[in-house]
Amino acid sequence: MKHYLWLFFLIIILFFKTTPSFAESSYVLPYPPPLPGSFFYKIRLVSEQIQKYWYFGSLGQFAYNLKQSDKYLVQAKTLFEYKQYLLGLQALKKSDIYFTNILPYLIKAKKEGKDIIQKQKILKEGALKHIEVLRKTKQYVPETFVWQPERLSPTILNLWKSIEESIAIRNKYL
Amino acid sequence: MKKILFIAYTFFLVILTLFSYAFVDPNLSYLEGLYSEFAFKYRQQTTFLYVLIIFLFFIFYFLFLWLLKKRHLNSKDVIWLICVTVILLLFSYPAMLSYDIFNYIATAKVLFFYHENPYIIMPIEFTKDLLLSFTHAANKIALYGPVWIILSVVPYCMGFGQFLLILLNLKLFTVLFYVGTTYLVWKISKNIFSVVLFSLNPLIIIEILVSGHNDIVMIFFALLSFFLLMKKRIIVAFFFLFLAILIKYATLFLIPVFFYTVWKLFKKQKVDWEKIYIASSLSMFVIFLLSPLREEIYPWYAIWFLPFVSLVHKSKMLLYIALAFSFGLLLRYVPFMLFGTHFGLTPFLKTAVTFIPVFFVLIYIFFKDKLWLKIFSR
Repeated sequence: MKHYLWLFFLIIILFFKTTPSFAESSYVLPYPPPLPGSFFYKIRLVSEQIQKYWYFGSLGQFAYNLKQSDKYLVQAKTLFEYKQYLLGLQALKKSDIYFTNILPYLIKAKKEGKDIIQKQKILKEGALKHIEVLRKTKQYVPETFVWQPERLSPTILNLWKSIEESIAIRNKYL
Repeated sequence: MKKILFIAYTFFLVILTLFSYAFVDPNLSYLEGLYSEFAFKYRQQTTFLYVLIIFLFFIFYFLFLWLLKKRHLNSKDVIWLICVTVILLLFSYPAMLSYDIFNYIATAKVLFFYHENPYIIMPIEFTKDLLLSFTHAANKIALYGPVWIILSVVPYCMGFGQFLLILLNLKLFTVLFYVGTTYLVWKISKNIFSVVLFSLNPLIIIEILVSGHNDIVMIFFALLSFFLLMKKRIIVAFFFLFLAILIKYATLFLIPVFFYTVWKLFKKQKVDWEKIYIASSLSMFVIFLLSPLREEIYPWYAIWFLPFVSLVHKSKMLLYIALAFSFGLLLRYVPFMLFGTHFGLTPFLKTAVTFIPVFFVLIYIFFKDKLWLKIFSR
C-alpha cells in the first residue's frame, strides 16, 4: 500500500508541475520581420507604405491592417526578448494602431454587401493568438523599465501596463 | 465543288456550335434552360462526337490548305471562311473545354464590381456570388498579368452587370484580337497561305473562338511588337512587347529575340526576318514545353507558337511539329471527357495523346528527309 501512496504523490507532483497553458489559437503569426537598425527595416517601412495602396478595398484593408498588426506584434515580442524595451514598446503601439484599424474596414465591407463571417472568425482567432503571445511576453518582461537616453531625463516605461492595454484592445474582438 | 465544301464547312460549324451546348454546366443558372446533362451522362457518345469533330475539322483544314496551294482558293474565299467561322462560333458555349472564361469574369468582377485587388482577394471570398457555383479557379488570386485585368474592364463594363452579355462581350473581345492577329500575320508575311495556316487551324479556332482564351491578346501585342520592329519603330515595339508580357508572362521568352533584332537594327545590319520568326517560334516552343513545371501543358498554350510558325511555314519540320501538336493537344481533352476524372489513367493518356502525333511526325521527317542516312553516314 505504501508503494501506491508514493505513486499517488508522484502523480500529484507531476500534476502541479505542468505549466498553466492559455487558450491557444491555430492562427499562425509571421516570422519576425527585419528589425530597427537593419537596412532591410528601412525597405520594410517603404514597402509598408506602398502596400497600404496595393491592398485597396475594404477586404484588402482588412488583410493589410491585420498583416501589419501581426508583423509589429512579432517585432515587439522579438525586441522584448532582446531586452530592447523602448523599441519593443513602440512596435507594440504600432501593432495596436493597426489592430484597431481592422474593425472599421470590416464594417465598411458589410455595408458594401460583402460577406464578412469568415473575416470575423479570422479576426477573432487573430485576437486570441495576439493575447496568447502578449500574456507569454508579460511573463518575462519587467513591470517597469527606466529608459535613460543620453543627455536627456529618464523615462519610465510601464511595460506591464502597456501589454495589458494591448490585451484589452484585442479582448474586445473575442 | 468549292461551293459544296463551303456549305459543308458552314454546316459543320453549326453542328460544332450546337455540340458545345452539350457541355453546359449544371450549376450555370444563367443557361438553365439549355442544360441537357448530355456531356456528363453520355460520356462515350460525347467523346466519340468530339473526336469525330476534331478529325473533320482537320480534314477541312488540310483541304483548305491543299486548295489554296492548288490556287483553287483566293483571298476572298479565305476572308469568307474566316468570317463565317467567327460569326457562327461567336455564339458557341465557351466553357465546352475550359472554364477560363469564367475566371476572367470573376477576376474582373473582384476589381470592377467589388473594388478589391484581385491579386490579394480571391473570388471565393464573396461567398454569396452566383459566379462561385460554376467558376473553377475561384480559390486563386488573379492568374493573369495586370494589363489583361485592366483590358477586361471593356467587356465587363459593357455587359452592364448582365452575366450573359459579359460572356458574349468577352468572346467578342477575343474575336477582335483574333481578327487583329490574322491581319498582322497577313501584313508580316504577305502570304495568304500563312493566314490560312494560322486562322483556320482547328486548335486556334477552338481555343480562341469557342473557349475565348486571352492568350490571343498577348500574342496580338507580341506580333504587333515584331511588326513595328520591322518598321524600325523600336520604342513603340518595345512598349507593345511589354504590354504582351503583362498580359501573360510567357512572352518574356521573346525578349532575347527582340533585343537581338534591336541590336542588329542599331548596327544597321541586315535582319533576316525568316530567322527571327524561327527563333521566336522556338522560344515560344521552349516556354510551351516548360509549362509542366508550373502546372501542365494546356492545349491553348499552342497559341503561343502557332502564329510565329505560320510566318515561317517554309521550315517544314517546324510546321509539321506545330500541326502535330495542334492535333494532339485537342485530343488532350478526350481522357477527361471519357472518364470524367483527372486521376487514374487520365494524366498518362493526356500526355500520350499529346505527344504521339508529334512522335509520328518526327519518324516521318526522319525517313522522308533521309535524316537517318545523314546521321549514319557521318
